[in-house]
Amino acid sequence: MAANVGIVLVSHSAPLAEGTAELAGQVGGGTVTIATAGGTDDGRIGTSIAKIQRAIQLADAGAGVLILPDLGSSVLTVRALLADPDDLPGPVVMADAPFVEGAVAAAVTAAAGGDLKAVLDAAQEARHARKL
Amino acid sequence: MPESSEATITLAGDLHARPAGALSVAASKFDSAVEVIVGANQANAKSVLAVMQLGASSGQQVTIRATGPDAGDAVAAIIGILAGATKAGD
Repeated sequence: MAANVGIVLVSHSAPLAEGTAELAGQVGGGTVTIATAGGTDDGRIGTSIAKIQRAIQLADAGAGVLILPDLGSSVLTVRALLADPDDLPGPVVMADAPFVEGAVAAAVTAAAGGDLKAVLDAAQEARHARKL
Repeated sequence: MPESSEATITLAGDLHARPAGALSVAASKFDSAVEVIVGANQANAKSVLAVMQLGASSGQQVTIRATGPDAGDAVAAIIGILAGATKAGD
């Protein structure tokens, strides 16, 4: 079977990233690699380019990586990283999506074997999903 | 004309996040369009968020309707998941 798209969750908070990864992993059935980059290198609230780079390496299985940022500077840090694609292992894209819903939708589509475009679309369609 | 298939099951447990995920993963592997119908509401089975939003619970009747080249297989696979996955009640 071909490799699945990997997912990287970038949050200001390590527990937030890890908890979201746990939830999305359960809904997706556990067959997708969901790596996290939460907090700064010294464990404070913030983002770390080194943690994001490591998470991309962990998540990459050859089918590309989808990155979901939580807020503000997470987006800016990921954008800075993506500006230099030579440093990336393969295709990496960032989703403009709500963090929890996007992670869950992306995990399901990745688990079903969807390609990077399909996983990105699933995450971004989560913007329109109603909760009530 | 595309093949069409439909089956109905009574849920033995709530359609919570995990079984909804299993349903959507399975549905996404088929080429057919697949709908989950609960009462007056329906959702695209390939959208886990839409399936969860249905809020289907134990004892409710759920109809799976597929249209496309592998419609029969899609309905059989998803009914199988609903029969098994909703028993755990999570």
